[in-house]
Amino acid sequence: MTPTALADRPQSSNVGPDARKWLDANLPDALREDVLQQTPRTLADMRAWEAQLHKAGLVGSTWPEAYGGRGLGLRAHLDISREIGRTPMPESVNSIGKELAGPIIMAVGREEQKLEYLPAILEMRNIWCQGFSEPGAGSDLAGLRTRVEKTADGWVVNGQKIWTSGASKADRILLLARTGTVEDRHKGLVLFAVRTDTPGVDIREIRSIDGERHFCEVFFNNAVVPEEDMLGSPDEGWAAATRVLSIERATNRMHRAWRFENQLQHLVSACAANPATRELVERDYAAQLADVSVNIDLLKGHVETLVGSLIEGEEIGPRGSLPKLFWSEAHQSFAALALEIVSRFPPDMSDPLRAVKLRMEEIYLKARAETIYAGTTEIQLGIIAKRILKLNRKA
Amino acid sequence: MASDLDFSPADFADTASAVVAACSDAADLPARMALLAEAGLTGILAPESAGGLALPLDYAVPVMQAAGAGFLAAPLMETMLLARAFGDTDTDIATALATGATTATIAWSGALGSTGGIVGRAPSVQDCQHVLVFRTDGTATLVALGDGAQALPEESLDLERPEGRVEVGTLTGPQLDANAVTRLHRSAQILRAAQILGATEDAMNRAADYARDRVQFGRALADFQAIQHHLARQCLAVETIRNSIARSLSPHCETPVAAARATFVGACDLGAKAAESAIQVHGGMGFTWDVPVHRHLRMTKALAAQGGAAALKRDVLDRLLSGQNKEEEQVHV
Ligand SMILES: Cc1cc2nc3c(=O)[nH]c(=O)nc-3n(C[C@H](O)[C@H](O)[C@H](O)COP(=O)(O)OP(=O)(O)OC[C@H]3O[C@@H](n4cnc5c(N)ncnc54)[C@H](O)[C@@H]3O)c2cc1C
Repeated sequence: MTPTALADRPQSSNVGPDARKWLDANLPDALREDVLQQTPRTLADMRAWEAQLHKAGLVGSTWPEAYGGRGLGLRAHLDISREIGRTPMPESVNSIGKELAGPIIMAVGREEQKLEYLPAILEMRNIWCQGFSEPGAGSDLAGLRTRVEKTADGWVVNGQKIWTSGASKADRILLLARTGTVEDRHKGLVLFAVRTDTPGVDIREIRSIDGERHFCEVFFNNAVVPEEDMLGSPDEGWAAATRVLSIERATNRMHRAWRFENQLQHLVSACAANPATRELVERDYAAQLADVSVNIDLLKGHVETLVGSLIEGEEIGPRGSLPKLFWSEAHQSFAALALEIVSRFPPDMSDPLRAVKLRMEEIYLKARAETIYAGTTEIQLGIIAKRILKLNRKA
Repeated sequence: MASDLDFSPADFADTASAVVAACSDAADLPARMALLAEAGLTGILAPESAGGLALPLDYAVPVMQAAGAGFLAAPLMETMLLARAFGDTDTDIATALATGATTATIAWSGALGSTGGIVGRAPSVQDCQHVLVFRTDGTATLVALGDGAQALPEESLDLERPEGRVEVGTLTGPQLDANAVTRLHRSAQILRAAQILGATEDAMNRAADYARDRVQFGRALADFQAIQHHLARQCLAVETIRNSIARSLSPHCETPVAAARATFVGACDLGAKAAESAIQVHGGMGFTWDVPVHRHLRMTKALAAQGGAAALKRDVLDRLLSGQNKEEEQVHV
């Protein structure tokens, strides 16, 4: 998907209001993040919900119709994303499929691969995970060691991935591996769509600070992957994928400014509904809450301006680091403030206040990861220094 | 409308920088206003009937950016906004402002009833002939300095446009109605952010150049990651302000009133932090009078006070408390 291709597509002026109406009518109470939940939601609930979102046209809006999308432009995607963000619903369990694997397959996949993989992602028949990071290769991804070797039966994979989010629930893993040795660095990297039930693929869950078992280690022990599951050729797969990634970094989870706003509004509205908590926020937290709200507007400035640039066909390149860095830090400081405010709720708090308290505690813990995944804060700062400011060059 | 014009806001950037540079050699405020007027900058927003260019606010953004970067010692934003505001009601004063024939500023702090009193935070007031005074009923009056009103000398943080207080005896002069005053305040939020953007970008560029040249431990400072991260955060601040201004003025913005307010409040915080960080990157040199980064910092702090950034935070919270996050906004900046 090139930016120009996106710019040419029709924009539909009603998608935002239509999305709003549909979400208001259809979000099940059991999936609401702003009310107390008695039972945890299951993977089956999420598959069903996300498949419904797709049927309603709220997912895959920019993908071509031949692959299950709506063929709309990026502005329509922004309009839908705003409404998704404003809705207190869970994050997708297949965001890797929808926002990483899908666009990469569209860029480098063969036509049969596109027809097989892409609709299956949107219809939630295939959940994907991302097998890039390794124990020895995190920020320095080019240091990865997982090897693939071509044999008569297919490609044989050996090595280990780690921090693979959602691997134990996934159907496919987007595997980045190398044909040569680690000294080749960025050369000889190749992408595969590996079935997670392939013999020789062993997935173990890791418990994270929020108590969940969502990210995993994935071991490959002579796992054989058929030739047709390679994405792109061994020499061009990675280069094409990184081009896609720079656009994706700027556009993925486009809803997050509006979800962030929904979280802030949930906190403030719940406090406002009760005299004691209202007084608490007005007296002790007015300026800090205003700062959070201002940050959300500033974040929208990044997102909406980058969308405008993409529609104009401009290169985004390292500018994708700006919203990632800004959002992750602003969201973390909001989470810390929210945690402090809910810690002062009275012991006889009402259910609505208890729902906010639980939501904010969860957000606080989960937010610790936001400055780590998708390139740590330090790595984003390095990208800005070297690639935007070009500090390594003489003035 | 902007889309019908065969030039873009960016086309003003070079002209504005050149005129601002020329202003630094001009003898006094009237001479600077004459240079700005000659280039069409004072009347950029004013109607054609008042000798202006009648351009939308977007076109004033690169001009104020150049003013911020180039230490412009003139109440240009105030002049632009007054020439526009009086354009429909008092063509004589609007023309005099747009053509640089008279000088005016705005007392941003305080509001007077019918009896007169003291207002403050009027940039460059010592050198101006008129000052706009806000009224407690939401309107405003352009008072001539000298007869009914006089500027009081004062210490000022901003060195380029020293702020002063004004003692007003009789409140007579051309009037602005409450709608015009509201519009003036909203436009000022965007233009102050633009001025801070220019200043912050210049502070960052000065720090980056210094870091590339200065050698310690046998390496340029720019080789040290701690310094790179300082500069990267300055860059994030600059781009955040830039993008937020663009969003606030975009026809696609859902909430332009809230966006303009957030742009201004955010620019004050981000701009000041970035300038502080630029001083840090300069080491002891950064604490000297001659390295002008402190001038940007002073100006940013003065603009924050003139625009009431701290008090605006209360408005932001009130909007959250009322739950009206996506209110229908009728605006016209
Ligand atoms: C919740 C979560 C989900 C994830 N999901 C996935 C997934 O689905 N698939 C996947 O492939 N990966 C995933 N990751 C992995 C993530 O991409 C890596 O954790 C990240 O890239 C950092 O790598 P690392 O953990 O090895 O840390 P390291 O690279 O070892 O970094 C440790 C610390 O050192 C700093 N550091 C490293 N290099 C430098 C440098 N040059 N200069 C200055 N500081 C430096 C880092 O910023 C960090 O603070 C996930 C991580 C988290 C936390």
